[in-house]
Amino acid sequence: MKIRRRSSNLLIEPPSSATGDIAFNLIIFFLVCASVQPDSGRHQTLPRSEETEEKQEKDKNIEVVVKRQVTLVNGDVVPATQFAARLTALLAGKPRPEDKVVVVKSDDDVPYHFWMTVTSQIEDAGGIITLQIEEEREIQVP
Amino acid sequence: MKIKRRAIRADVPSMAMGDIAFNLLIFFVILAQAQDDSHLQWTPAEARNIESAGHSVVSVLIDTDEKLYLNGQPVGESGLEMKIEELLGDLSVGERIVLLKVHRDATALRFEPVIEAISSAGGELVHIVEEDRDE
Repeated sequence: MKIRRRSSNLLIEPPSSATGDIAFNLIIFFLVCASVQPDSGRHQTLPRSEETEEKQEKDKNIEVVVKRQVTLVNGDVVPATQFAARLTALLAGKPRPEDKVVVVKSDDDVPYHFWMTVTSQIEDAGGIITLQIEEEREIQVP
Repeated sequence: MKIKRRAIRADVPSMAMGDIAFNLLIFFVILAQAQDDSHLQWTPAEARNIESAGHSVVSVLIDTDEKLYLNGQPVGESGLEMKIEELLGDLSVGERIVLLKVHRDATALRFEPVIEAISSAGGELVHIVEEDRDE
């Protein structure tokens, strides 16, 4: 004897009552994803820029010149491997914060990653960075 | 003869909830993208001893083409200081954080005036970098 399978003609719909919850969870997920950005970095305290030059103070401070691939400390070329140690030694005998100022002067073509490495090492050695920016950079003669 | 009243179930219509929530999703995503700079192209430099930048209302970015952006919007170098001052307003010390995101190969000619502008505007500068794991 054959038993006929009962065919169901009912319309099968996905349960719509849960879509609101699913979509709400999607909102939360995307908002959390959007807010998680790599926002970790290095704090850098720079004194406000002043146009007046204090020649006497500058003469006392350590001067670091950053070129494209090398750095000069008080006019001497210092290899990258010795830079941190040299600065630490120079700053060691200066207990007052105003004596720990390191004047940083960069060439125009210095890449940011190299500049960042140098300034990080200055700060880690206890120096206080001051940027020396030349004003006459963009003069154009017709 | 008594006619029985048919009991009607009063349900909140749930069919439209998905559409409403989806539109909300689109709205928030667009709103978030208009203000942030996640769509801009740049590669962070590396540094050691990095820490959390904290909450900030100002973000300055120099992208791979050395173009300057303030909170995701293109900005000129000349008006940068004034605009940062406006955004920082009367925020107290500790809340005046300015995130600086510079493409690793951008040159000093481009990023040093930006650093100076942030400093002059009274911003507390935070360089956004990646942890250097080489050494």
